[in-house]
Amino acid sequence: MSRAKLKSLGFDLPLLPTTSVGSLTKPDDLLAARARHARNEITQAELERLEEQATEFWIRQQEEIGLDVLVDGEMYRGDMVAYFAGLMGGFTLGGLVRSYGNRYYHKPIIGGEVKWPGPMTVGWWKKAQAMTRRPVKGMLTGPYTVMDWSFNDYYPDRRAAARALAREIRKEVEALVEAGCKIIQIDEPALSVRAEELQVAIEAMHVVTEGLPAYFLTHVCYGAFEFIYPAMLALPVDNWDLEMSNSGLDLVELFKAHPFTKDLSFGIVDVHTHVLEDIDVVKERVARALSVMPADQVWLDPDCGLKTRTVPETIDKLRLVVEAAQAARFALGAKT
Amino acid sequence: MELILTNTGSYPRIGDTAELQQLRRAHGQRERGEISAESLAKVQDAVTAEVVREQIAAGVELPTDGQVRWGDGLSYFAANLNGVSMNGLLRFFDTNTYFRQPVVTGRLSRKGPLFARDYRQAVKAAGRPVKAVVPGPYTMARGSILESGYRSVHALTVAYGAVLAQEVSELAGQGAPVIQVDEPAILRHPSDLAILAEALVVLARGKGAARLSLATYFGDAAPIYDDLQDLTVDVLHVDLTYSPALGRVIADRGSTKALSLGLLDARNTKMETRETVFPLLDLIGRRLRTPAHLAPSAGLEYLPRDRARAKLEAMRRLRDAYVGERR
Repeated sequence: MSRAKLKSLGFDLPLLPTTSVGSLTKPDDLLAARARHARNEITQAELERLEEQATEFWIRQQEEIGLDVLVDGEMYRGDMVAYFAGLMGGFTLGGLVRSYGNRYYHKPIIGGEVKWPGPMTVGWWKKAQAMTRRPVKGMLTGPYTVMDWSFNDYYPDRRAAARALAREIRKEVEALVEAGCKIIQIDEPALSVRAEELQVAIEAMHVVTEGLPAYFLTHVCYGAFEFIYPAMLALPVDNWDLEMSNSGLDLVELFKAHPFTKDLSFGIVDVHTHVLEDIDVVKERVARALSVMPADQVWLDPDCGLKTRTVPETIDKLRLVVEAAQAARFALGAKT
Repeated sequence: MELILTNTGSYPRIGDTAELQQLRRAHGQRERGEISAESLAKVQDAVTAEVVREQIAAGVELPTDGQVRWGDGLSYFAANLNGVSMNGLLRFFDTNTYFRQPVVTGRLSRKGPLFARDYRQAVKAAGRPVKAVVPGPYTMARGSILESGYRSVHALTVAYGAVLAQEVSELAGQGAPVIQVDEPAILRHPSDLAILAEALVVLARGKGAARLSLATYFGDAAPIYDDLQDLTVDVLHVDLTYSPALGRVIADRGSTKALSLGLLDARNTKMETRETVFPLLDLIGRRLRTPAHLAPSAGLEYLPRDRARAKLEAMRRLRDAYVGERR
């Protein structure tokens, strides 16, 4: 079903398309430059030059590895919510809160009416797409997650905040579509943690995607899917990108009980470990995916963003994805 | 109406100024091998004293130690047990925070007393008894990977209950007036209430003169409110920020236990006002066994330090105004 949509949008992707979730490792020189920029030691232009350089590095790497749908690697972002909160009207940066261990971050506060400031990711998408003939995904964080990962001092409740964010994030999606982006990923990692609010997330995503001519993916990870599956399939996207390997593929059992009716980007490589899986382990994960899903609904990628891995680890893990996809295509008699 | 102001557990251990970040620096130094474990422990003691005093200054009458030493809700206790190793990070309920998941590999036993020492440090800083907090046996079991040693979540819950009973007994021996048992997981798995009930019986055996408080949060307690009344605890903490129905349920059913009312949202910076708090107190108040507790909905570590303190100060202002006006 969604392959037909992709075709209608002009994409002729191979069986089991390969991609990555979004973030890739920032090279050391970029990390150092970001720290210097934070201390006002280098200009925004100097930082952007290194961000562009790093983006081009990853575009070339993804091409060389053989991925089908590329990402810009998010070289210009720190946190996936704070980046947008820092640009959008209505937000202030809150004080430090702990994430885990000794890690802290500035959690944004919605203190006024949220407002789209004009394109936030379109320029980066255009730059990345201009570097390659392969499709590059547009990458955004969804309204439910931006709401959930922010404090809300302004809107009367969580639903109102999510809806307001959805209206503004839709403007970014429209700008991406206008620029020519036809594969757009709207990440909602917070979606699976409050089962009782699934409808809030679905409503908000309707506002974001309804009627727009693009193939939409969403990435969700770390969730309690047993509480929201299969109701979550009502989220208006074409493709769910799910962390599978880190949880021992336990979601496969849910898909046996109730078929997965959308396309699925199946995480076949664990991103939370330095260890590089054996190719046979990864091939077995592909086989498990294909045991519960028709092959033409399956995409293959790592579990999650790769920004916490080293550059060599990231390259090796992406190679595994492509190698396993090629082996599976060969076994299915499809074009590799 | 008598409402005792208490904290529900954690308190932000760092703030945004350099002087409020000594613990963060010390952890970094310890990770790099620049300071000893003893030096880190001294900083933890100092920060515990700091956050206890800050709670009291903000008006809290029954503060906690702020859980300054807890890496997260499960692994601090689990790391002190034989028969447990540690796995990777997992999201902690619906928060954007993570906990290190315990892996149960054999029969559980303690390496030694844990919470009694923390309690003594907090009392020293407070100059009065404080509320002790321990993780709940059911939430520990639900959050663990069970590899061997026990046959089921049920058996593991009871086993965690047995080792926690030793902690409870020691805390009671130190004079803790209230020992809070954190059980957010039961709201996700209400069908397991009988398992929790069995473990709480084990836990309660060691409580002596202390009052055992069951803390439920991160979910709606309304559907199981009646069942919670049957548990062998003295105080029941409920999170009133999740459930529009819970206030009405309490008003209708009353309570056989002292309630700890989690009325202040520990997960959001928006400040409560008399318009949001007083109607709920009016609704519930006539059915309360007093003294009841007024508290943040959950631990305050989900807020920035300045907002956490402001919440506690608001709690005192609101309590004083309410009690004054309704007298």
